[in-house]
Amino acid sequence: MDLRYSSDDLAFRDATRRWFETNVPKVELKTLDERREWHRTLFAAGYVGMGWPPEYGGQAASALRQAIVADEMARVNAPPTINGLGIGIVGPTIIHHGTEAHKHRYLKKILAADELWCQLYSEPNAGSDLASLKTRAEDKGDHFEVNGQKIWTSYGAISDWGLLLARTDTSVAKHRGISCFLINIRQPGVDVRPLKQVTGNQEFCEVFMTGARVEKSDLVGRLGQGWEIAQTTLSYERGGNSLARVTRYTSAFHELVKAARGLRRGGRPLIDDPLVRAKLGRIYAELEVQRYAALRVLSALDKGEGPGAASSITKLSYSEFEKRYFELALEILGPYGQITAGLPEQLNTRVSASSGHGETWAYAYLWSRAGTIYSGSSEIQKNVIGERVLGLPKEARADRVK
Amino acid sequence: MDFAFNDDQQLLKNAARSFLDEQCTSAVVRGLWDDPRGESEAMWKDMAQLGWLGLSLPEAYGGSGLGMVETAILLEEMGRAAYPGPYLPTVLAAHAIAAAGTKEQKARWLPGIATGGARATSAFVDSDLSWDPATTATRAEKAGTGWRLSGAKQFVAWAHVADVVLVPARAPEGLTLFLVEPASAGLALKPVTAIDLGTRWAAIALDNVSVGPDAVLGAPGSGERLVTELLRRGSVAASAEMLGAARRCLDMSVGYAKVREQFGQPIGSFQAIRHKCAEMLLEVENSHAAVYYAAWALDAAAPDAALAASVAKSYVSEAARRVCGEALQVHGGIGFTWEYDLHLYQKRAKALEPMYGDADWHRELILRHVTD
Ligand SMILES: Cc1cc2nc3c(=O)[nH]c(=O)nc-3n(C[C@H](O)[C@H](O)[C@H](O)COP(=O)(O)OP(=O)(O)OC[C@H]3O[C@@H](n4cnc5c(N)ncnc54)[C@H](O)[C@@H]3O)c2cc1C
Repeated sequence: MDLRYSSDDLAFRDATRRWFETNVPKVELKTLDERREWHRTLFAAGYVGMGWPPEYGGQAASALRQAIVADEMARVNAPPTINGLGIGIVGPTIIHHGTEAHKHRYLKKILAADELWCQLYSEPNAGSDLASLKTRAEDKGDHFEVNGQKIWTSYGAISDWGLLLARTDTSVAKHRGISCFLINIRQPGVDVRPLKQVTGNQEFCEVFMTGARVEKSDLVGRLGQGWEIAQTTLSYERGGNSLARVTRYTSAFHELVKAARGLRRGGRPLIDDPLVRAKLGRIYAELEVQRYAALRVLSALDKGEGPGAASSITKLSYSEFEKRYFELALEILGPYGQITAGLPEQLNTRVSASSGHGETWAYAYLWSRAGTIYSGSSEIQKNVIGERVLGLPKEARADRVK
Repeated sequence: MDFAFNDDQQLLKNAARSFLDEQCTSAVVRGLWDDPRGESEAMWKDMAQLGWLGLSLPEAYGGSGLGMVETAILLEEMGRAAYPGPYLPTVLAAHAIAAAGTKEQKARWLPGIATGGARATSAFVDSDLSWDPATTATRAEKAGTGWRLSGAKQFVAWAHVADVVLVPARAPEGLTLFLVEPASAGLALKPVTAIDLGTRWAAIALDNVSVGPDAVLGAPGSGERLVTELLRRGSVAASAEMLGAARRCLDMSVGYAKVREQFGQPIGSFQAIRHKCAEMLLEVENSHAAVYYAAWALDAAAPDAALAASVAKSYVSEAARRVCGEALQVHGGIGFTWEYDLHLYQKRAKALEPMYGDADWHRELILRHVTD
């Protein structure tokens, strides 16, 4: 056990830190074009798709180096890349399961954010039970025709392409009749309608596909292999971002302490109130535990040990923590925490939620409710932990394939 | 960067597991619960033989010069076995003697401790049960070349078997740590009985107890720093032991949930039970990260070592209590019986929860670290 970084990794961290301190945008990026430009600056500097193999534009960088970059970005509150799903999920899926033609056609444009991607999995009646999805893809000889509806599609409105799960065979067990496709969503047969979220933003969408066209060559893997591919996809979603996430929580904590110094209640600064101190001390301990756990996961990833089902523990841990964290922040801030515009000067800080784009306490608080729903809800994670990590018996389920 | 145990550490863990599985079975533990002394001389000698008592002592005094990570590995296994005996208080006090003692003091105590001939403990808290060394009320007055100590200490672990007790007392120079032998005139021990019969505590009354000038550990007035350091180590050590107890309770719960059937199916197939087990695992794994990060930070003298010790103690104290409590719930009625072993581990975790500072105190320390 030795938690020190090697001198090479330290040198890399220092260089990365200097780069970000110099290059981080000084003003808020408002338009998609501005964000795309920032993404390309990051790409040119070698900070996008670092873990991808070199032949596809990456550097096969270690998990630790990727975590260092994410962490340094979090330190300076740098805006994220814009093609998060493309880089984090679609690219790796194509690299693992795609053809050479897919790799040539799509990967570079993902890295450079020339084409933005979304993930077309969930449907109105297929959420946690994703395998029950109904969207059909029919073989029309020279192409597939897609009919159906997707929902909760993050970044659907700004995307050009989608990674699609659709049913190609209704005669077999539900998990076996699903295939994975790459679909151009800028075509007449695809209608993308933004949905307003509880945060007030419109990040996710409904996507209606009516006679939409997918090229024959854009099937990923074999027909019927979609479920298996989706399982590997989901595991890419829980990579080494946890350290950066904790760094964002930590900067938010220092803002919270600043606020607790500035606000007075009952004639004294909040920070001198023993109840407030107890709450702050408790949440900071939890925050640090998240950091230690992130280091532990990172050390395993760095040695090439995939966490497997144990990644469910990480996901459950941070997403549930994040809810407690921002709930506590808003308890301490009182109604000030709910203000979205017009916050008093001393509270007017940039607080970065773990994802999403808002920068207020109110936004972070609302956004923290998303993490225990997407990528497998907390209940689903607990099922996975119970069955696959602890080996507890499976529950009786009406749809269980015998 | 590597969070996993190295080969030697893994070997130590395996060796500890097999020794305790064989020598410290629940039947042995129960036997010692009923024993007036409460610990086994033979087991203590075996532990000395295995090198556990001198694990973190300097080689010059018969130790192996290993660190807090290795100590935590052993203590986790001891918690897992609900080992009854003065291991934790002895190695903690020995560490202080090694760190601050004179040549003579080290020679007097350390080889004996390493070979299993001597036991030690520390009397940290006065009657107000404050873990803040600055509030120590026990007094030390100059008497000739030596000192006279007066005061009342509470919850001194394994004092009745200790050959030497570390006593913090307020001297004119400031807080000072004294090495006191329990047989000294004016010292009275009053044992208490608590729920964990594998943890023995006593109150110590000091009524003008005379000690020589050689009883001072470190310089007069250096006690606050020494005690603070000791409490930090004690916090991590206790957290490791609570972690072991919690993991044992989790393992027993998962095992039971697989075989106990109700409504025609194993209870582990009910989400209410399965989700509980998943939450318990989450807290156990987080506790593991907290304990070993903090242990490593102490060994590496990392800048956040003090913070990490408080993080571990505050987090694991509550996590272990919850995990052990939920284990009882998973077991139903059988978990509430004296016969079933679950309570051995639950009570061990509970006994350590307030020691070296409870969760609330460590949260206050954490806030001081991050806001000062
Ligand atoms: C912010 C956000 C972004 C998202 N982005 C995308 C995206 O880009 N692409 C995409 O495809 N999807 C996306 N999703 C959808 C997400 O994956 C689903 O919301 C999720 O899978 C849950 O499905 P559901 O909403 O239908 O809820 P349901 O599955 O209906 O669940 C409702 C409740 O029932 C519980 N439940 C369900 N099954 C079980 C069970 N077996 N045992 C115990 N409890 C159970 C759930 O835990 C939950 O509490 C996003 C969701 C959110 C909130």
